[in-house]
Amino acid sequence: MASILDLRRRIRSVKNTRQITRAFKMIAAAKLRRAQERAVSSRPFAAMLASILDSFKRRIEVYDPETGEIRHPLLKTREEQHVLVVIVAGDKGFAGAFNANILKSTLNFISGNHEKQIDIETIGRKGRDLFRRRFPAARFEQNGNGEESGRPERQQRSGRIEIIGDHPTMLDRITLDDVRALGEEISARYAHEEIDAAYLIYNEFKSVISQRVVIERVLPIIEFGQREIIEAQAMSPEERARAGRAAMTAGVSTMPGELEAAMKVYEDEAKKFGTAEVDYIYEQSPREILDAILPLYVISQLNHAFLESVAAEQAARMTAMDSATNNASDLIDKYTLSMNRARQAAITKEIIEIVSGAAAI
Amino acid sequence: MADTDRLQVRLVTPDRILVDQSADAVEVPARNGYLEVLYGHAPLVAVLGPGEVRFHGGETGEQTYSIGRGFVEVLPERVTILADSALKPQEIDVAAAQGRLDHGHQLYNEAGDDPEKYKQAEIVIREAESRLESAKGK
Repeated sequence: MASILDLRRRIRSVKNTRQITRAFKMIAAAKLRRAQERAVSSRPFAAMLASILDSFKRRIEVYDPETGEIRHPLLKTREEQHVLVVIVAGDKGFAGAFNANILKSTLNFISGNHEKQIDIETIGRKGRDLFRRRFPAARFEQNGNGEESGRPERQQRSGRIEIIGDHPTMLDRITLDDVRALGEEISARYAHEEIDAAYLIYNEFKSVISQRVVIERVLPIIEFGQREIIEAQAMSPEERARAGRAAMTAGVSTMPGELEAAMKVYEDEAKKFGTAEVDYIYEQSPREILDAILPLYVISQLNHAFLESVAAEQAARMTAMDSATNNASDLIDKYTLSMNRARQAAITKEIIEIVSGAAAI
Repeated sequence: MADTDRLQVRLVTPDRILVDQSADAVEVPARNGYLEVLYGHAPLVAVLGPGEVRFHGGETGEQTYSIGRGFVEVLPERVTILADSALKPQEIDVAAAQGRLDHGHQLYNEAGDDPEKYKQAEIVIREAESRLESAKGK
């Protein structure tokens, strides 16, 4: 049996750990509130864009009636042979299964599409760490005389799956400029037929107690406004209950707050954006409008995914740290009990010694 | 609302809803020139280029935002502007905009024969120039 001193030491150490996990939890809760706000505020824009696209599509044909050509390269569908997967993972660990879930879904996706060549683009520090060791990086070479065509030429693939790029710091502060650069790059790759489809794998944040891993197709755009979810991995009931408890003790509301309610109104109105039953005058030609709107649509989808993922990461961290805090408390209780028992045993032993000593006299 | 001849205007960016008020008139920078919208305008959809959105009168008072790219939907009583970024002139970081402009010129010079690159560079230059311009206006 461990001595009293040992137990006391162990209790102290667990108490310190508990203090740290509790602090982590409160930090995650504070960050979650901010991330949640941003994610929710970005919804009206996305909804408006989707609805204007939808209404636009009903008014003009996707195919040009004169030439029979499809009006925009991003609308063309091809057989999927080269696929780009954008993986949105977290920046840090200590978030339970957050990053592991992303990894699992990605590997599932990869093994489910074994006949295709897959390029991986990772977002977030953990994303880079998770995949860098598994798959080789793609190699590029700037075209000889530089001035001719500007796109760097891809070297011979060293495997079916390659990592084409990583953005470890993008989620620190999500700025539209960064997202735009990435979105434009992806659109350009699609337009140049370097890829035949682009998928996005990320943690979707619905509320504090409801997050799921989602695989979504970004390109080609087949149905506007409809988010094409290929696969979704929801939380189990136990996980939900744990998240609910964590949220309660951290003072984060699981109910939609005032902001959500206000945004909901906008979102509902946003769905009517550009869809009124009137004949609009289009200032520009259909091609020009599509040129402007489609890349923006891709960007808005990326932006949405990044913001949701950041919120989901914080929610996952909060839940994980709450569980850790609870486990630490349980451990402390257990050790305290053993310590008291050991102390009692020592006292009893001493009394017996005294009593038997007295009896011997 | 008692005063029904007011235009309801809304300016939305991916971050948030910046403006949701009534105004007497709005000027928007459509691709092919500025457009002023008053109450009762015919329904219209237009692509907006880089430029300034100006609100006049009403709750909004005189307000100017420098926007990047976006769209506008005009209905007789409501105008909704979608923009990828919207800044007030005093919020514009002049040094950063100047940097963007230089970057744009550099892209332009390096574009070679690729028409797409020229287009890209032009977009960057136009955006930066419009930003600098509205920063100077204040």
